Amino acid sequence: MIRRVVPVAAGVFCLLLAAGFFLVLRGAVETGSGRDGPLLRDLFTTSSVDETGSVNVVTAILMDYRAFDTLGEATVIFTAVAVAAAILGKPRPTESQRTMGLLSRRLLSSVLPLFLLFPLFVIAHGHISPGGGFQGGVSLAVLVILIHVAFGDPFGQNVVPLRLLVMVEYGAALGLVAVGMLGIVQGASFLANLAAGFPSGTPGSLLSGGVIPVLNLLVGLKVAAGLSSLYIYLSGHEASRGDR
Amino acid sequence: MPVITGLELSYFLILGALVVTAAAAVHMPGDLTAVIILSVFSVLSTVVFALLQAVDVAMAEAVIGAGFMTALFVTAIGKTRRSAGGKR
Repeated sequence: MIRRVVPVAAGVFCLLLAAGFFLVLRGAVETGSGRDGPLLRDLFTTSSVDETGSVNVVTAILMDYRAFDTLGEATVIFTAVAVAAAILGKPRPTESQRTMGLLSRRLLSSVLPLFLLFPLFVIAHGHISPGGGFQGGVSLAVLVILIHVAFGDPFGQNVVPLRLLVMVEYGAALGLVAVGMLGIVQGASFLANLAAGFPSGTPGSLLSGGVIPVLNLLVGLKVAAGLSSLYIYLSGHEASRGDR
Repeated sequence: MPVITGLELSYFLILGALVVTAAAAVHMPGDLTAVIILSVFSVLSTVVFALLQAVDVAMAEAVIGAGFMTALFVTAIGKTRRSAGGKR
């Protein structure tokens, strides 16, 4: 008896799910046709420069309108690093000194300073040109990984110690929340920007957009520290030791 | 009769190459080959995003897909292979 009921119930459930999905999608399409008022897209493109002081609309959305979501994104990376550290354990640099060849190392040592300029530029100009804290932060993390791969783990640990990375991650996370609380102290909402009275400056100049450059810098540091320490935890793990 | 410009032609070519690289990443023998082809896929989708004027997304895709994920995947493959005693 039950064997016959279960497939029928599952089928009815799937039908109801599909119907509900269809209704939601139809509603979304009707809302998106813009018959009843202005689209959110038009609102962002027309008024975001006045409301945030940031010329780059994507950064304006990420760091001002949806800054709380960015904080959640940073929390996701933090959780990932914490879980990786808990599972993989304390990283042990391999003694076998696996590095790239002499030619690659010589070439990289002259190219790496130029490579460092790119993430710094992307983070500093996040509110003016494409890019922002996240993109620049991942570039910085890739730079640290490149140092580890090219010059070996002991050298990488000397240049960028894991302790420093962890400290930077903690500091940036605390700084993000502190900047958010500053909005509340000023009498506006959490992570408020111009509404909290921060100076907007001239849109398009390097120091403009209220707290957006500060948030960009903090997110960039946090993402860089989190992702590069994730790699260090993974590469410093001795798999044979865990097998037993 | 719609006229296809050079930019559109290159756009469609890259879209086709995306499909080819995605299928190749699944069907190629060997893990490392799949990871490298996946990074090629990522670079191609960066070009697509840049053509669609989503430069922020293109930058994130280039850095994460081609740079960071490749490094993580290669490291993970190296670690698991050594732990399996060279069986795979």
